[in-house]
Amino acid sequence: MSLEVKNLKVHFPIKGGIFGRTVDYVRAVDGVSFKVEEGMTYGLVGESGSGKSTTGKAIIGLNKVTDGQILYNGQDITHQKGARVDFRKQVQMIFQDPYSSLNPRKRVYDILAEPFRNFEKLSKVEEKKRISELLELVGLSNESMYKYPHQFSGGQRQRIGIARAVALKPKFIIADEPVSALDVSVQAQVLNFMQDIQKELGLTYIFIGHDLGVIKHVCDRIGIMYRGRFVEEGDTDDIFNNPQHIYTKRLVSAIPDIDPKNRKERIEVREKINTLYEESYDQFFDEEGNVFPLQSFSSTHKVAVPERGE
Amino acid sequence: MSEKVLDIQNLKTAFRINDEYYAAVDDVSLSLNKNEVLAIVGESGCGKSALAFSLMGLHRSAKIEGHVNYDNQDILKLSTRQLNKLRGKSMGFIFQDPLTALNPLMMIGAQIEEVILLHDKTMNKRDRKLRALELLDQVGIRNPKLTYEQFPHELSGGMRQRVVIAIAIANNPEVLIADEPTTALDATIQSQILNLMNDLKEKMNAGIILITHDLGVVAEMADRVAVMYAGQIVELTDVHTLFNSPKHPYTRSLLESIPSNADPKEKLHVIQGIVPSLQYLPREGCRFSHRIPWIDQSAHDENPVLEEIEPGHFVRCSCYKHFDFAREKEDERIES
Repeated sequence: MSLEVKNLKVHFPIKGGIFGRTVDYVRAVDGVSFKVEEGMTYGLVGESGSGKSTTGKAIIGLNKVTDGQILYNGQDITHQKGARVDFRKQVQMIFQDPYSSLNPRKRVYDILAEPFRNFEKLSKVEEKKRISELLELVGLSNESMYKYPHQFSGGQRQRIGIARAVALKPKFIIADEPVSALDVSVQAQVLNFMQDIQKELGLTYIFIGHDLGVIKHVCDRIGIMYRGRFVEEGDTDDIFNNPQHIYTKRLVSAIPDIDPKNRKERIEVREKINTLYEESYDQFFDEEGNVFPLQSFSSTHKVAVPERGE
Repeated sequence: MSEKVLDIQNLKTAFRINDEYYAAVDDVSLSLNKNEVLAIVGESGCGKSALAFSLMGLHRSAKIEGHVNYDNQDILKLSTRQLNKLRGKSMGFIFQDPLTALNPLMMIGAQIEEVILLHDKTMNKRDRKLRALELLDQVGIRNPKLTYEQFPHELSGGMRQRVVIAIAIANNPEVLIADEPTTALDATIQSQILNLMNDLKEKMNAGIILITHDLGVVAEMADRVAVMYAGQIVELTDVHTLFNSPKHPYTRSLLESIPSNADPKEKLHVIQGIVPSLQYLPREGCRFSHRIPWIDQSAHDENPVLEEIEPGHFVRCSCYKHFDFAREKEDERIES
């Protein structure tokens, strides 16, 4: 199992004028390439509007791909409808908001039965058996089957969302900010659980997030996005201990430190990096404020810096 | 000795559910000093926002008991008219969501001037505009003249939050209540906003009540911290003591569950059970006891009160003396 994204572009048209013609495009994702190997957790990080969610949705087919290729096990699944059917069974998504991603008018039973009804023809008895297995897997009682989403807490709902995602025994899960809406202790619960099922079912994750503390905890490899492009890509260690791009440095320095002793130090470091950011802005961004293409920095680490002229 | 600006005594805020009142804030006593950031931390549903809203009289239908003393008067006893003279003038409020806190149909400048006009009728139009521009500059907006004539939808989240802060500090308040001011913002913007609030605290000598669920924000901002669980304060101390030698089981569990504290790939600590909903809140004994079932019932006080265990360090219930995480793991091992 491997997923490769090659030069992915997702552009949304801006309509204008009296005839509603396309005036310009919003370049939400503008040339992103990365590779996810089996069993790993790949983190997509960036501030709001950087295109990280759009990338995730484009891979699973919720956004139309403007240009580029998505290869799943070496097979091009960018546009082919037939190939996607199989792909859709194997790739699932966990959504950010556990309140709006579950249909309030459906019982948990029907929510969890939907993937089976779409892809597998099961008898009533079998269906029920599979659903109670799922509920057991995510640690909910069997009676929850007949309840509605509003009867659960945020953490429990997120686990129903996860149960739905793993129903068809996928190989690959795209998790779009799965814990952003949750409290720390519930967040811990969901993260632990995601790691457990990763081992159990041999899952591969793309983990989209903006909380670098969480990303550092769960990811093996990270891509930092800015304005639809990659700023830096590398193993977790590369990104956190040896950031090269000024944008990454600024992002890493903004993580709140849990020790109040270091407060003064942190503020000084941040100020230094912020001045450095303003001073060296021209070196790292082109005239339009976009980042440069990625250059290899080490065997695992890539940074978006201008090509070194001879 | 620092000077008290706000003194909360036995505050109780109860909401009505099916003809019965349930206290979301249950007997909270706190005081806020000048030039101090007092953080109130807890998970959703612990009553921290209900507390903040009570202080400003923002609840529409809640039964509020107790006293909140500000400037030699009990602000809970004031009429709406009298309260309006305080709100926006000597007490500022920063809301969580900067988009819904601003009027989408009014220009930024007009919204700032509105608060100035309400509390100071003597200022003329020109001075008000100058003051609004000065405020925008003070909260770090690069081009105040441009922003002055913009509408909220034209600004980014961080800019909007700056505008909300500008409105809150327009009349140099002595008390500033910030309800999750950075929850909706990205990390780099968050650190900028926190820096800004710190600067303002120094400049205006104000007392800030910071409501948050993010312990990282607390570690970076607060002078003193009150940890709330199920409507009560369970631990109250200065920020260094809280992070270096937390006592209450709830505080310790929360700190344990932060990802950056743990080794990557290692399991995070999870607090057993869930926060009970308002109606089913245990009202007797230690409210946290059922989340730490491996601690013997006899370790809990019958009627836990906030006790001063060291000067300035208050902890509720003596169960903290018998609390450790090791026993839980042992129990789990036996079970499995």
